[in-house]
Formats: sequence, structure tokens, C-alpha cells
Amino acid sequence: MGFEVFTDKFESFIGTNFWTMIIAWINLLIVFLILRKLLFKPVKNMIDSRQKEIDDLYADAQQSRDDAAAMKADYESKLENATEKSEEILKASLRKAQLKEEEILKEAEEKAARTLARAEEQIEMEKKQAISDIKNEVSDMAVEIAAAVLSRDIDKDEHAQLIDDFIENFGENND
Amino acid sequence: MGDLDVGNGAKVYFRLTLFDGAVAIDITQTTISLFVVSILIIVIGAILGHGITRRPGRKQALAEKLVLTIYDLVESTMGKHNLKYAPFVGAVFLSSMFGSLIGLTKIFRSTTADLMVVLGWALVTTGLCWYEGIRNKGFFGWLKGFGEPIVFIAPINIISEVAQPVSMAFRHFGNIAGGGVLMTIVYAALGGVSTLVFRGLPAAVASVMPPVFQIGIPAILSLYFDLFSGLIQAFVFSLLTMVYIASANPPPKPKLTRAEIKAAKLELKAKKAARKAARKEKTALKKQQKKLLKGSQSHTQYT
Repeated sequence: MGFEVFTDKFESFIGTNFWTMIIAWINLLIVFLILRKLLFKPVKNMIDSRQKEIDDLYADAQQSRDDAAAMKADYESKLENATEKSEEILKASLRKAQLKEEEILKEAEEKAARTLARAEEQIEMEKKQAISDIKNEVSDMAVEIAAAVLSRDIDKDEHAQLIDDFIENFGENND
Repeated sequence: MGDLDVGNGAKVYFRLTLFDGAVAIDITQTTISLFVVSILIIVIGAILGHGITRRPGRKQALAEKLVLTIYDLVESTMGKHNLKYAPFVGAVFLSSMFGSLIGLTKIFRSTTADLMVVLGWALVTTGLCWYEGIRNKGFFGWLKGFGEPIVFIAPINIISEVAQPVSMAFRHFGNIAGGGVLMTIVYAALGGVSTLVFRGLPAAVASVMPPVFQIGIPAILSLYFDLFSGLIQAFVFSLLTMVYIASANPPPKPKLTRAEIKAAKLELKAKKAARKAARKEKTALKKQQKKLLKGSQSHTQYT
């Protein structure tokens, strides 16, 4: 192994030193390998992973936005249903109330009619009673009157029969 | 700044001889610059890539911007299937950029001002193109590609294959080295102007006057020839790398199943038959029309 130092030696302007090329290759290889390991790969990986994270975030946001929209639509349709239902319920209860009212009215009318009929019946009955009472009284009175008029002893029963027949006929004629 | 090293390449510091002089390695300015640039890039890359978290800080924002820019550029020029080349393109771009810009320090020589460096990078690109070509078409398929579209064109194809790395390398090298040469010449010339102007003064005063014309003017030129040119050439070089590799690795075609191919063929046949039938009908119709026309004419003739 030799070693020779030069103080004033130059290569030609267009260099032909093949070792320079080899050293350039070695340097390029080293620079390439180390830069790739220390700079390009880590930075590129980081950028890619961050890009992926951002993409995922956006996808997630889109997903939740879609979910929210679906939920909103669901709620809106439910709300609409609820108003419809409440209206229906209201209508149904109104109808029910109306029916009940009608029923009550009808019942009351019936009751009144019944009461009226009963009253009329009673009146009729009392009238008949009164008439029969009057008949009895009149017959008694007639007997008494007849007894007083005749003041003779006549068979009381015969006379009563006589007067009754008379009154009967009278009543029938009068009816 | 006594002597102009315009016509010279990199300075050779020392020579390492191995195996009894069978191998002689010249360690030059370029070698040193290459290692310095590599260490610089690696340190910057390590700092930027260190402590990557989900919530980026200021430093990470820069790292992400850099990485994403390179990935986006690779995706737009090479397609999604070539994204694996992004770190390589990034390494080439940064090596080229820092390699050119390190010349601004005037301590280190631009690595890209050495033809062998850029030629090496260009040959890597060519190698990758060949690798992709062989991977896609198989070795013989790739060889056959040189004889396309006709066999006689093969020599031209081979020349263009050689010209590709050579043109890439010389473009980059020429721009940077030429810029350096130009800057050196301008610098020397401005020094000459200074001495010319100060000649009128007494010798004692002139000798202590600074070369005032060297202040300011070279900075503006350097902005273009060193900074701008360095950045542009780094971009061009990596863009060409991407384009060449991408053309060797086109996007994968969607594979058709046998049934699909059959269906497509049948459809084509049906279309052809339909066209033929339509043509036949048309000619028949024309004939009929002609006949009718003739008939009517003859009829009019008789009446």
C-alpha cells in the first residue's frame, strides 16, 4: 500500500478518473439508502397514514350525518303519525260523547213518557174509582131517599136490587 | 489568486496505491466534495426526518413539503406505478443540487463540475432503464427492442442508447464547469481592470488599492452561473432521469381474459359484416334507382 501526496497536480478539465465515478456511485447509493430510510419512508408513511385518518374521519362524519338524517326523517314521520292519531282519538271521543248524549236524551225522553203514561193511567183509575164511589153513594142515597119516600117496609134487598138495576141502566145509558 | 486554473480539472490531493501499484486511486477535490455533500445531505435528511409525529411542527412541515414535492413530481412524470423511484430521484436531485452549490463556498469544488461524477449518475439511470426493459420484456425481448421498428435501424438505436447518458452527463457537467470557468475568467478580468485603472496612481498607492471591480459584479453573475444554473441543472438532470426510466417502464396494461378477447373479436366481425351488408344494400338501391330512371326516360321518349 503506497501513499503519495501531491501539492500541485490537477486532473484534466474533462476528468477521466474512473475512481471518481466509483466514489460518486458509492456516495449516491449511501445517500439514496439513508435518505430513503431516514426521510422519505417515515415522512411518506406519516403523510399516508394521516391522509387515511382524515379520510376515515370524513367517512365517519358522513356516516353519522346520514344516520342523523335518517333519524330525523323517522322522527318526523312519527310526529306526523302522532298528530294524525291524536286527531283520530279526539274524533273518536267526540263521536262517543255524542252517542252518549243521544242515549241520555233518549232515555230521559222514554222515562218522561213512561211517567206520563203512568200518571194518565192513575188518573184514569182514580176517575173510575171516583165514578164507582159516586155510583155507590148515589145508590145508597137513592135507597135512603126511596126508604124515606116510601117509609114503608118493603123488602130492603128487593128495593136495592131495583135501584141498582136502575142505576146500572142509567150508568150504561150515561156512558 | 495568482494563477488561473481555468483549463484544469479537480486538484489531486494524494494517490493511494494498492496491491503493489496495481490499483491507483487518486483522491481529488471532487472526492472530498462528494463525501462532504453526502454527509451534508444525510445530516439534513436525518434532522428533517427525525421525530416525525402526527401533528407536524415547523420542521416537519418543511420535510413533508420536500418529500411530497418529490413524490408528486415523480407521480406526474413517471406515473403511480413508478413511485418507488421517488427516493432515488430525490437522492439524485439533492446530490446534484448540493454538489453544484457547494462550489459557492470556494473551499470545495463543485462535484458536478467533474464529468465522471455526472456520467456515473447518468449511467445509473441507463442501468435502471435497462433493468426495467429486461424486467418488462425479458432479456431477448429487450434486445429485440433495439431492432424496432426495422432491424436496419438497430445501430442508430444503439447510438442513441449511448448518447442518452453521454448527453445527460455533458449537459450537466458543461453547465456547471462552464459557469465556474466563466466566473474565474470574469474574476480575473475584473482584477485586471482594477490594476489598469489604478495604474495612474503612484506605485506605492496602487499596490495597496484593493481590486474594487472584483466586488459586487461577480456576485450578480454568480447568482446566475452558480446558483440558478446549479438549481436548474439539478432539476433537469432528475427530470431526465425520471423521463428515461418512465419510458422504460410504461404503465402496466390491464390484462384481458381469453373470453374478453374472444368477445372483442366477435364484435369486430359482426361490425364488419354489418358494414358489408349496408354497402350491398346501398349498391342495390342505386341500381334500382338507375333502372327506374332509365325506365321513366324511355317512357317519356315513347310518348
